[in-house]
Amino acid sequence: MRQGIEIAFHEVNEQGGVHGRQLRLVSLDDTYEPELAIDNTIRLIEEEQVFALIGEVGTPTSRSATPVAATAKVPFVAPFTGAAFLRDDDWQNIVNLRASYAQETEEMVERMTSDLGIERIAIMYQDDSFGRTGYQGALAALERRDMEPVSVGLYPRNTVAVKTGLLDLRAGRPEGVIIIGAYEPVAALISWARHTGFDPVFITISFVGSNALAQELGQYGEGVYVTQVVPFPTDTSIPIVAAYLKALDSFSVDSEPGFVSLEGYMAGRLAIAGLDGCGPDLSRDCFLDTLLQSESMALDSFPLQFGEGDNQGSDRVFLTVIGPNGRYRPTDTLLER
Amino acid sequence: MIRQIKRLLALRYRISMQMYLAIGGAVALTIAASFVGWVSFNRVGTAQSRVAEESVPELGAAFRIAEYSGTLAAAAPRLTASTGPEELEAVSAEISAAQHGFEEQILLLQQYTGDTRFEEIRVNAQTVLFHLLFNINAIEATMPELYVLTSSAEELRLELIELRSRLDDIIVPEIDDQLFYQLTGYQTLGEPAVARVIHLSETEFDRYRHLAGLRADTTLAAQLLSSAFSVSNAALIEPLQESFESAAGRLRISSSALGDSTISSDVQPILSRLFEMGTQEGDGFDLLLRKRQLEDQQQHLLGENRQLAVELVNGVNGLVTAAEQKADSANVASTQALQTGRTLLLVISAVGVCGAVVISWGFVGRVLLRRIGQLSDRMRHMADGNLEGEVGVHGKDEVAEMAAALEVFRRHALEVQRLNLVEKLAEELGEKNSQLEDVLAELQRAQDQIVMREKLVALGEVTAGVAHEIRNPLNFVKNFSEASQELIEELEEIYEEIDGEPSEDDQELIDEILQDLTDNLGRIRNHSERANRIVHDMLMMGRGGGEWRTVDLNLLLDEHALLAYHSARASDTEFQLDLQRDLDPAMGEIEAIPQDLGRTFLNMVGNSCHATHKKRMALLESDEPREPYMPTILLVTRRKAHKAIVTIRDNGTGIPSEVLDKIFNPFFTTKATDEGTGLGLALSNDIIRQHGGTIKVNSEAGEFTEMIMELPLTRPELAPIPGENSSVLEEA
Repeated sequence: MRQGIEIAFHEVNEQGGVHGRQLRLVSLDDTYEPELAIDNTIRLIEEEQVFALIGEVGTPTSRSATPVAATAKVPFVAPFTGAAFLRDDDWQNIVNLRASYAQETEEMVERMTSDLGIERIAIMYQDDSFGRTGYQGALAALERRDMEPVSVGLYPRNTVAVKTGLLDLRAGRPEGVIIIGAYEPVAALISWARHTGFDPVFITISFVGSNALAQELGQYGEGVYVTQVVPFPTDTSIPIVAAYLKALDSFSVDSEPGFVSLEGYMAGRLAIAGLDGCGPDLSRDCFLDTLLQSESMALDSFPLQFGEGDNQGSDRVFLTVIGPNGRYRPTDTLLER
Repeated sequence: MIRQIKRLLALRYRISMQMYLAIGGAVALTIAASFVGWVSFNRVGTAQSRVAEESVPELGAAFRIAEYSGTLAAAAPRLTASTGPEELEAVSAEISAAQHGFEEQILLLQQYTGDTRFEEIRVNAQTVLFHLLFNINAIEATMPELYVLTSSAEELRLELIELRSRLDDIIVPEIDDQLFYQLTGYQTLGEPAVARVIHLSETEFDRYRHLAGLRADTTLAAQLLSSAFSVSNAALIEPLQESFESAAGRLRISSSALGDSTISSDVQPILSRLFEMGTQEGDGFDLLLRKRQLEDQQQHLLGENRQLAVELVNGVNGLVTAAEQKADSANVASTQALQTGRTLLLVISAVGVCGAVVISWGFVGRVLLRRIGQLSDRMRHMADGNLEGEVGVHGKDEVAEMAAALEVFRRHALEVQRLNLVEKLAEELGEKNSQLEDVLAELQRAQDQIVMREKLVALGEVTAGVAHEIRNPLNFVKNFSEASQELIEELEEIYEEIDGEPSEDDQELIDEILQDLTDNLGRIRNHSERANRIVHDMLMMGRGGGEWRTVDLNLLLDEHALLAYHSARASDTEFQLDLQRDLDPAMGEIEAIPQDLGRTFLNMVGNSCHATHKKRMALLESDEPREPYMPTILLVTRRKAHKAIVTIRDNGTGIPSEVLDKIFNPFFTTKATDEGTGLGLALSNDIIRQHGGTIKVNSEAGEFTEMIMELPLTRPELAPIPGENSSVLEEA
């Protein structure tokens, strides 16, 4: 995420900055701990006197950081989470880039039901606020189709103790499993499931850290679907991706393109669009207005839609699948397996 | 002696004395006011010093005691709330300072008061303070241990969390794996499942049971310990410890049942630590118990202290109230003193003001100002010039003296005014004189001009006369010359006829002719001389500055009469005159200025010509039957012993008696404006007087006028220098 934003900033700074201003990214590590996220946010606002906060990673961390940012009226741009609370109408200072978890889970259910006609769907989630958010989204998506999960499994956060949950999932004999979790336990779950001959359609959510997941899965990875909120990062037919790859190349030679990096790049580009639209007389209000009142805009033809009660730019969910070689490829349906 | 007393008594009428008395009264009043003020301020000062020296310090001490007692009351909670030795030290320093201050102020208070009630309150407060301080010291003494315990407890809490987390990390996946293995037979990823006999064996069930027991009991033990952190009563810790011990017993069984497996070795040290916490002295429960006990003790003391603090504050409030009451009473005394002083001062001020009003209205206004006003009015009137009326003098004071002085002044002023009037008149007179002089000079100039004009008129008249006089002789000369020429022609004819010797007849004729010629030439000569004399006389007359010389008076009169006659005839052809002469042959010569005297004659005869002509013309114009009138002028000269008398009489219009005495006034004339200047007779009069003579006039209106001039035969001694009336001709 950080690298992606750096790439975008580096790119615009190379071109002379935004209205003559050079952009600087100050990064602090909260180690995914909510308390530290609060400390860091205060520090960025008070000591570093940042113009805006960008790319906060995680749901619990964002949950901690946003009240601080809102009190200080500092823009909170493109957090790396699809949590529903960030899409609330009441926020004045939050600009979301990506689609919500609810939209991702909706896409999962939609694909499974419409592409494959699956009726038995189970849900596996990490037992924390992130996992529950995804679980709620999936439940809602099922409910819309008058369905309910055939089985639900969960695992304790920060462990790979997924087998009990696997047993629970198996009990429902699902045809498709929606997984909301971190890459390690997700990989363990799928590995053990497949090892033990339980092989429904697995779809997991973007947050997993796709590349790490594929790596962890190894031989068990093929055919595992992952929803994404950004386009496929090597698909040069998409202008924003082409721009990303070009900027990545000029930023660092040995960096591999990736989903999170691309999302970071797009977050950076979104912030730049806001700064640029404001002109030389920059203010936070103007910055937020430029983005949130824009109705529709585009980052290199990647469409974004804001408006009344909509602080989220992209509603698009992209589907990827792990190929036999352990590499991702984009796909439109679950039929390609 | 009596005189002196009388003089002193008289002084009472003097304003100065009255003023002195008034001022003396005012001074006396002021001194009285000052004295009253001084007495009042003294009383106020005494009251105030009581306030300042007793009540204020007392009150201050009471307030400070209140403040210190507040600090002391709050001391215990602050002590227990302190988080470390440093803060404790700071707080206890404040407490001892407050204690010290409190005692000091109490001592201070003791000095001021003998009031028993006050004393009682003070003693009570001190007793309460003693208890309070005792408790505070007790709390303070427990604090260092409590700090240690608190910090140990915090460490314990963190350690417990970590222990739980570590146990979870080990036990949760282990149970997860054991369950999965037991149900499915899969143990390792990539390996096939074992036979049901194996994974569903009694051993595996036991293992799962113990793992589950381990998990449950570690959770329970940790939970019990956690609960011990937050018990509200030390007594509650004991049952927790009891439960913990039973859980620990189960854990020992479970962990030993798991045998020497990996899990057992991983879990063992953690469990040992957990057991230590449960049982070891100064650790775990014991630590928390001690902490709780200390805290309870503190709570008890704090509760007591709250009670004591309330008592202390109440006592101190009593002190403050008592001090306030004292201060209030002192203030009241001070205020009363102020009030009395103020009232007295007001009364004296009022008396002073009334006195001033009475003096100013009764004495200054009524007596002084009114009289001074009267005087002032008088002075103003005098300044305006009104010096009439005596200045009234009343009384015996300075104003009366001023009035008297003013009266003297008024009289002097009157005198001066009179003198001024005379001077003014003299001045006006001088002014008039100088005006008159100016007018006179003006007149002189006018007269000179008029005289000149008169001379010109006279010259005009003379010229006409002269022309006539000269023409006559010239006619004679001409006629006789022509006659002589004819005689000479006749004589030539005779001589041509005679050739040779003339006949007697011829000779007779020639002699006759020659005689005629001789006569003619004689006549020509006479007439030429006459013409010459006329011109000469005319020149003499025109030449102004005539000189005194001897002159034939008859001749002078006759010539000028003729001149006047010819002049009149020249101006009017109808003029007729019978000029008769009765001249004294013995007249001879007298000394005179012929030009001036001749002009007088010319003027008088001219006047007569005019008068007779006027009368004749008037008679001719009137239709009345009349006697034939012949204008006649009679010239008469007579020589007396020392004087010559010249009378010119005409039968003209005469002079009306009412103007008879004005005819010698300059500019008086009966002629039309363009005919006469009115100066002729005035000048004639002047000339005759110059010659030392007189003119008399006899006249009857419509009948005659007679001018009689008497002239001395010789030049008078004081006769004016000739030439004053300079001649026009000479100047021309």
